[in-house]
Amino acid sequence: MMSVKLAFRNVRKCMRDYTIYFLTLTLGVCIFYAFNSIDSQQAVMEMSSGQSSALRMLARIIGTFSVFVSFILAFLILYANGFLIKRRKKEFGLYMIMGMGKWMTSRILMWEALLVGALSLIMGLALGIFMSQGMAVVTAKLLGAGLGSFRFIFSSQALIKTLGCFGLAFALSLIFNIAVVQKQKLIDLLYAAKKNEYFKAPRPAISVLIFTAALCCLGLAYKIVLSDGFIMLLNTIYIPVALGAVGTFLFFFSLSGFFLRLLQQSRGLYLKNLNMFVLRQINGKINTAYVSMTLVCLMLFISICTLSSGMGLAEALTTEMRENAPFDATFSVRTEYEAASDTYSGIDTAAAVSGRGAGLSAFAAEYVAARYYVADATITLYFDGSETIVPPNFMKLSDYNAVLALQGLEPIALGPDEYALNCNMNTREWQDMLRDYASSGAEFEIAGRRLVTDPSKLFTRTLEVSPNKEFAVAAVVPDELLAGAPVKKDFLHINYPEEGGEYESMCVSALIGFEPVGPDGVQLDGGLETRVRVLEYTHSATTTIAYIAIYLGVVSLLLAATVLAIGQLSEAGDNAERYGLLRRIGAEDSMINAALFTQILVCFGAPALLALVHAAVGIRVASGVVSAFAEMNIFGSSFIAALVIVAIYGAYFLATYFGSKSIVSISARGGFRNE
Amino acid sequence: MSIILKTMNVEKYYGNKGNLTRALAGVSFDVREGEYVGVMGASGSGKTTLLNCISTIDTVSAGHIIIGGEDITEMGHKSLAGFRREKLGFIFQDFNLLDTLTVYENIALALTIRKRPAREIDRRVKEVADILDISDTLRKYPYQISGGQKQRVAGARALITDPTLILADEPTGALDSKSAKALLESFRRLVREKNATILMVTHDAFAAGHCDRILFIRDGKLFHQLTRGNDSGKLFFDKIIEVISLLGGDTNDVR
Ligand SMILES: Nc1ncnc2c1ncn2[C@@H]1O[C@H](COP(=O)(O)OP(=O)(O)OP(=O)(O)O)[C@@H](O)[C@H]1O
Ligand SMILES: [Mg+2]
Repeated sequence: MMSVKLAFRNVRKCMRDYTIYFLTLTLGVCIFYAFNSIDSQQAVMEMSSGQSSALRMLARIIGTFSVFVSFILAFLILYANGFLIKRRKKEFGLYMIMGMGKWMTSRILMWEALLVGALSLIMGLALGIFMSQGMAVVTAKLLGAGLGSFRFIFSSQALIKTLGCFGLAFALSLIFNIAVVQKQKLIDLLYAAKKNEYFKAPRPAISVLIFTAALCCLGLAYKIVLSDGFIMLLNTIYIPVALGAVGTFLFFFSLSGFFLRLLQQSRGLYLKNLNMFVLRQINGKINTAYVSMTLVCLMLFISICTLSSGMGLAEALTTEMRENAPFDATFSVRTEYEAASDTYSGIDTAAAVSGRGAGLSAFAAEYVAARYYVADATITLYFDGSETIVPPNFMKLSDYNAVLALQGLEPIALGPDEYALNCNMNTREWQDMLRDYASSGAEFEIAGRRLVTDPSKLFTRTLEVSPNKEFAVAAVVPDELLAGAPVKKDFLHINYPEEGGEYESMCVSALIGFEPVGPDGVQLDGGLETRVRVLEYTHSATTTIAYIAIYLGVVSLLLAATVLAIGQLSEAGDNAERYGLLRRIGAEDSMINAALFTQILVCFGAPALLALVHAAVGIRVASGVVSAFAEMNIFGSSFIAALVIVAIYGAYFLATYFGSKSIVSISARGGFRNE
Repeated sequence: MSIILKTMNVEKYYGNKGNLTRALAGVSFDVREGEYVGVMGASGSGKTTLLNCISTIDTVSAGHIIIGGEDITEMGHKSLAGFRREKLGFIFQDFNLLDTLTVYENIALALTIRKRPAREIDRRVKEVADILDISDTLRKYPYQISGGQKQRVAGARALITDPTLILADEPTGALDSKSAKALLESFRRLVREKNATILMVTHDAFAAGHCDRILFIRDGKLFHQLTRGNDSGKLFFDKIIEVISLLGGDTNDVR
C-alpha cells in the first residue's frame, strides 16, 4: 500500500520533529500506566488487611486524579500534534499538487498517526511496566508491607485505561489533522511556511521600568510570605500569590527588553561575536511568548514544590509516627457522661481486661496502668503575642515514671513543691513557648499547695499510642496531691513478649470494641490503639501524599517542558532562515551552534531559575507549616526531586536543541541561489 | 594594477554518470584591482555556477581559480572558510537582512563575527553607511526601509570587511529602476573611493552599463567581452544590447 509506505518514510524523515511528540507521549503513557497499576502491585506484597485496604484507597484516589491528568495529557498530545501539522502544511500542499486527493493525504496522515501512536504507546507501556515493578518495591516500603517472592506485575486494567485514554487523544488529534487537510485551500497549504509572523520591534525604555516593578512585586510577595508565617497566610494567602503571579508576568514581559538595554550600554559585549543577534533572538522570542513563559514558570514552581515538599512531608510523617507509638498497645477508658466527670473515680483497667479473650497475660509481657486526673489549674502560653490557656492533664509522679520505665527511660524526681511539664510536641515552636512559660517561674496551686517549675522540668515524652499527634500537655505532680481527684482517663499500656502478628491479633480480638462497666454500673468508653495500626495509618497517609505529589509534580513538569519545547521548535522555521543567513555572511558553524544553544538555554533556563527562587520561598513556608507538627527534612527529598526535574526537563532541553539544530542546518546552506 | 582574480579553464559538471550537466565548459578571464566587472548571459548559461565556484562555496571540476595570489582550488575545507570570511564579500539577490536587527546591527554583524574590536566597528559602520548613503536609516529595522535601501545595507555589509573581491548575483533583481539606479551609483562610488573590486552578475543591460567591463557567457563558455574604455554611456549601452541579441536574441531579458 502506497499510503502506508509514504507514512512510514515520512515518520522516519521527520524523526527529529517527532522527537518531542514521542517524548511527551512515551513519558505520559509510562507515568499514566505506572500510577494506575498500583492496585495490582499487591501481587508481590505480603500485606495485612489494613494495608491492602489502604492500597485500594490509594488506587481510588489516583484513579480520581487520573481523570484530571488524562485531560492534561490529551491537551499535550493535541498541542504537540498541532505543531507538527503546522510545520507540514506545505508538504500536504505538494501531495495535492502531485494529484493526490484529500482523502489520500488524510489516509497517509492516519497511517502516520497510527505508526507514531503505536510506537510511543508500546515504548511508554514497556517503560511503564518496567517502572511499576520498581514502584512495587517503593510502595511496599512506604506502606510498611513485606515483599514476597518476585513476580511479574501486569495490570490489564491499567492497560485498558491507558489504551482508552490515549486512544481517544489520538483519535481526536487525527480528526483535527484530517479537518485541517480537508478544509484548507491548496494555496494556503503551499504558502503556510512563508507566512512569517510579523516581527515586533522591541519596546523602548519602559521595559526597565516594568522590570523594576516586577522585582518589587516579587520582593514584596516573598517578604509577606516569609515574615508572616503560615498562620496569617491561611486568611490572606491570595495577596502574596497574586503579587507573585503579577510579578512573574511582568518579569517575563520586560526581562529581555531590560537585558537588551543593559547590554547595549556595554558596546564591547554587545558588539561581540553573535551576542547582539542572540539577544535580539531571545528578545523577539520572549516578546511573543511572555504569557506561556509565565505559565511555564508557574507550572515548574508547582512541580518543584509538590515534588520536594510532598516527599518531605511523607518522610517527616513516617519518622514522627515511629515516636508516636512508644508501646505495642494502649487501651484507654473514660466515662461517657459529662455529668459524672466530677466524681468519676476510674477503674482498674488491668483487672477489667484480664477477663477478656485469652487473658491479659496471653499477649502482654509487661503492662502499666496510668491515669490522667482533672484538677483546678491551668497554664497560660503565649503564641505570637496572643494568650492561650491550656488545661493540662494531671498525672501522678509515680504513674509518669512507670510510663517512662515501660519505654525504658530513666525516672524523674520532683521536690515536694515542684511540678514537671510534659509536652508531646517536640517541635521548636511549642518547646520555645513552654520554655518561656517555665522560665517565667510560673506556678499554680493544687490541693492547697503552691507548686513551681523551671526549664529543667520540661519533658517531651510520648505517653500513649495514638495515630494523630494532638498537642497535649501533662502536668506531673507529687502523688499525694491527686489523691481523690476526679479521673479523666485510664490507660493500660502494653508491651508484647515480642513483636509479631499473633500477639497483635490476640490483643486486638480481646480489646477492640471492649466497653468495660464502671463502678456504679455505668457503661464506659473504651478504645484501643496499637503500634501496628498506627503505623498502618501513617503509611497509608504518607504513601498517598507522596504518590499524588509525584504524580501531579511530574505531569505538570511534562506540561511545562512540552509547551516550552514546542514554542521553541515552532520558531525554528523562522530561525532557520536567520541562521542560514548568518552562515551565508560568513559566521562559523561553532559560533552559530553556540548562539542557538544560548538562545534555547535562556528560554529554558529563565523560567526554571525564577521557578527555583519561587520554590525556595514556597518550600520554606511549606516546611514552616509542617514543622508545626513535625520536623521536615527537606534536603533529602529536594535532592531526589531535583534529579527527577533535571532528568525530564533536561531531556526536553536536549531534544529541543538538537531538533532546532537540525532544522537550522537543513536550510542553512550558503552560496548564491537561483531564487 | 595587480590582478585580483584569475580563472583558468574552469569546468564544472553537475550530476552523475547517467545525466551530466556541463554548467561551465572552460572559462578563463582576469579581473584587476579596482575593476567593476559585469557578467551577462541567458538563463541557465552558468552565471550563478561561476559565482559559486569563485566564492569557494562550490568546488570546480577542473581548472584553477586564483584570488589575491592564492589558488583556492588547492585549499582545504577549513582554510577555505577562513579565506571566504577574510577575502570575499557577498551581495545576494534577496537582500538577506536579519529582520530582528537594526540596519546598524546588520552591518556591524559582519565585523562582530570576524571578532573585530567594538570601537573599530562603530567607526567603520558609520563610514560605510556614509558612502552608501544610508546614514539616516541606521536606527531603523529592515521592514521600515525600502528595497533599494535594503540592498545598499547588504552592500555595506559586504564591503565593511574590506574584501579583496565583492561578488554580487543580480543585486538589482528585486529592485525597481529608481532603487536600482541608486544602488548602482553607490557601487560605482565604492569602486572609485574605496578602490573596491566587484564582480556582478546581471540580466539587466542598464545595470551592466555601469560596469567597466562585461563578460558574456553562453553554454558555460566565455562568449564575448565588452570594455567601456572611453565610450559614452549611450554608446556602451547600445553595444551591450547588440551582444545580447547576438547571444540568442533573448530580448525579454533586457528591460
Ligand atoms: N546544483 C545543481 N545540480 C545540477 N545542475 C545544476 C545545479 N545548479 C545549476 N545546475 C545546472 O547548471 C546550469 C547552469 O546553471 P546556473 O544556475 O549557473 O545558471 P544561471 O546562468 O545562473 O541562470 P539564471 O540566469 O536563470 O539564474 C543549468 O543548466 C542548471 O540546470
Ligand atoms: Mg542565476
